[in-house]
Amino acid sequence: MKSLLCTALLLLSILATSASAGFFEAILDPESKEGKIFSGATQVLSSSKEIDYKTERAIGESLALEGLQRFGSPVANESLQKYVNLVGTAVAANSKRSTIHYQFAVLDSSVQNAFAVPGGVIFISRALLAILNDEAELAAVLAHEVGHVSAKHALKSTQRAQLIQGVGTITAASVGGERGKKFASAIGDMQTVLFDKGLDKEMEFEADLAAMETTYRTGYDPSAMIRVLEKLQRLEASSKDKKGSWFSTHPPLGERIARLRAQLQKYPDYSSLASVHERFVKQAKVK
Amino acid sequence: MKVSRSMAAVLALLLFAVTVMAEEKRWVSSEGTALKAEASATSDNVADVLVGTELTVLESGGRWLKVRIASGKEGWVYAGRVSDTAPAAEVTGGDGGLFGDSMQKSQINTAKADSARSIRGLSPEADAYAKGRGTPEKYKKAVDAILARKVSDNELKTFLKEGKIGEYAQVQGGKQ
Repeated sequence: MKSLLCTALLLLSILATSASAGFFEAILDPESKEGKIFSGATQVLSSSKEIDYKTERAIGESLALEGLQRFGSPVANESLQKYVNLVGTAVAANSKRSTIHYQFAVLDSSVQNAFAVPGGVIFISRALLAILNDEAELAAVLAHEVGHVSAKHALKSTQRAQLIQGVGTITAASVGGERGKKFASAIGDMQTVLFDKGLDKEMEFEADLAAMETTYRTGYDPSAMIRVLEKLQRLEASSKDKKGSWFSTHPPLGERIARLRAQLQKYPDYSSLASVHERFVKQAKVK
Repeated sequence: MKVSRSMAAVLALLLFAVTVMAEEKRWVSSEGTALKAEASATSDNVADVLVGTELTVLESGGRWLKVRIASGKEGWVYAGRVSDTAPAAEVTGGDGGLFGDSMQKSQINTAKADSARSIRGLSPEADAYAKGRGTPEKYKKAVDAILARKVSDNELKTFLKEGKIGEYAQVQGGKQ
């Protein structure tokens, strides 16, 4: 009788396995790397709950003001900005944090870079956009940045951010006071992390994997993230001035590429997904 | 007799397990998700479902899942739009004050999270920061313009459809 029950249970387990196997098996399996990434992001959100969305957004907007002064104003091409917002919104809608409002902008900068500020404002430089070949590659870069916003990496990276609770209420009337000074100081610290030092190496790896996952969920070829990093690797080899680029603020490209190649095994059908070359050339390759 | 009883027990166990399997749960994880009448993005909408909505999986058809929601409505949802864990809710301050001392830490529901999306233009706090820092007006205006941009649900659907991306790839004869 025991063996009969064991056989039945074994059959059940096989049945259950085959029932759950399928296209998005990798995402849905909580023990898989992808499943852990998504549950990890959930944990990050709950551990950072002392900072509410409105606060996060105000920090992000203040950092955006600083970012424009450092990297340049948005490119004056509304059609291009709209296109980048469409691609970005498409991937953000399938990210781990899909209910907040994201905005995207192309900055007139000759340094190949992209960065995100807390709350969901994301920038890509004209120079980085110029080396991309299709929409899937643009989606990958934007999804990487969405991954940082989703996991609140910038906030977690700044020790001062842990003290933000003590800043108190910031208003136009109190901005010149002690609270305003503390707030400005916290923004200064975050600038150093985002624009100079770069985020923690593991956070970059996490954002890379999240980008691959998010583009895959959206329907873009997830190997595009690898192609972008390979382009940057070639550029890095021939580049003299690396200041402010993804070369200087991100972990070694070879290591990132290796990790992503390993991750790509989880998406056996990746080459059948969309790359959208023609529309990208028409919309993004503008003078 | 003993054997047949055992068999009956096993059969009952099997039936129970099949029922449990049929009650497999998923949660909506993507914004702008709708239950569709068929496993096709261009079929009729049965219901719009918010992020966090619990789904009972009834059937799997490749990249589409047939699901039931709490109201009893059934329909198909694209597998890229669901997760096997409930997504975390956004956090908001209870008194609405930035960094307020009495800030209540509350998990808000997805409908309220959606209202956060309505934030437009530079916030008064960031505006005050800019004044304090002496940020040139042109950068304030530039950030204002960035924050004012919005992609509507219809624009996004049209964009994905034209690009034959994701759930629109199959019906459009795309590669997917």
